[in-house]
Amino acid sequence: MTDLLRQAWTVARKDLLLEFRTRTALVSALVFTALVLTVFNFGRDPTAVATIDLAPTILWVTFTFAAMLALNRAFQLELENQALEGLLVSPLSRTSLYWGKLLANLVFVALVEAVGLPLFVLFFDVPVGRVLLPLVGVIALATIGFVAVGTLFSALVIRTRFAELLLVVLLLPFLVPPLIGAVQVTARLLGGRPLSEAAGWFRLLAAYDIGFVALATLLFPFTVDE
Amino acid sequence: MPDVPQNGGYMVAAYIVTAVILLGYALSLYRRTNKL
Amino acid sequence: MSLAQKGRWIALLGLVLLAGVYVRALAFTPLERFQGPAQKIFYLHVPAAWSAMLAMGLVGLCSILYLIVKDARFDRFAAASAEVGTAFSLVMLTTGPIWAKPIWGTWWTWDARLTLTLFLFFLFIGYLLLRGAVAEPGLRARYSAVLGICGLVLLPFIHLSVYLFRTLHPQPIVLKPSSPSLPGSMLVTLLVSFAVFTLLYVGFVTQRYALALLREAQGREHA
Repeated sequence: MTDLLRQAWTVARKDLLLEFRTRTALVSALVFTALVLTVFNFGRDPTAVATIDLAPTILWVTFTFAAMLALNRAFQLELENQALEGLLVSPLSRTSLYWGKLLANLVFVALVEAVGLPLFVLFFDVPVGRVLLPLVGVIALATIGFVAVGTLFSALVIRTRFAELLLVVLLLPFLVPPLIGAVQVTARLLGGRPLSEAAGWFRLLAAYDIGFVALATLLFPFTVDE
Repeated sequence: MPDVPQNGGYMVAAYIVTAVILLGYALSLYRRTNKL
Repeated sequence: MSLAQKGRWIALLGLVLLAGVYVRALAFTPLERFQGPAQKIFYLHVPAAWSAMLAMGLVGLCSILYLIVKDARFDRFAAASAEVGTAFSLVMLTTGPIWAKPIWGTWWTWDARLTLTLFLFFLFIGYLLLRGAVAEPGLRARYSAVLGICGLVLLPFIHLSVYLFRTLHPQPIVLKPSSPSLPGSMLVTLLVSFAVFTLLYVGFVTQRYALALLREAQGREHA
């Protein structure tokens, strides 16, 4: 198990180091997030609809875009450096390859979200103080859901012609359960509802994550093996 | 006793659309298998 | 008789019987008092849903079996089932809103049924697009199988999330949809329709499978 984790970390570290050397993808994702939040602000009439009603949707549309950007940038790294072939020839296990990529993608998205959330709070004057911990919790759960499936699907589309587009099309149905859960929980948290009301959604999100991380781990070897 | 709603138009539309899709697909299969 | 021809005859029989269902549903099945004629869309929409679900279930099953034994027949069947499933889910997706408008007063509602229909359709389309995008048959089979299995596992989650959403957000209903216990005549029409749609599924899948075989025999890349 520790061997697996160590190998996964090696893979993740390679991706993350490559990413930080250039920084372009991270910076574009951060700028894009800020841009999306700004556009949302100008797109609404604060006297007609209370911010608090739109807030969860705004937050999650922004984070979904951020996750998609992260998944797309993961490709560029592979294709540019032909790193994939190198990885396959190495003695790394397929499972640690998946977990490594998953980890790298999660770190990337987490960074964008870590900047995005304060910006969101700032731009929309949303009270998150008391509910910060559960909010971070639901953000983490939903993000794991998107990225787990997205990382697996990246492997499916990597050699196709319209890879980024195909990835979005394939991923769309899989974003629905985590997204519904995330928006529902966020809405309840921001609305000051008791945590128990969101319990069912938390369970759904957790079940989705466990289910799909396990399934992706199981299926990933089929995307790279002969 | 309320009147029966007059929504027959929807029924007709749905029945036609279904027929078009299924016949269209059947035709597509027929032509594709015929060409080979 | 070749496989394609067998499929054609089955499909033809299915279509003829479908015409019979049309006649029975439209002329010989009683009108539902509160929903009016639009209720009869039910006799097409629900069996189409059944066929689409069957198609998806078999795509998932064949995907699993393919990954285990690597038999190309499972891959071929999965591909055939996906295409046929797309046709049936298109029927669902069109008849659903046409039914919803008179019954619920709106073309679309994010209830469990329609939402699942929409995403089932997207899953089929995604599956077919993926197959179209991967040229090498072995790779295509493996990748499709991965997607097929994920799709199958996804469906209960979509159903659960929408169900959870709806139980906490009850929506107003203009007219009450059909209750589970149908009077005899209506039930018969529905059951006959189920049988006919299943027959159509079999006929279509057989032909599509035969098409894949024919293409492979001719040495074409896309099966």
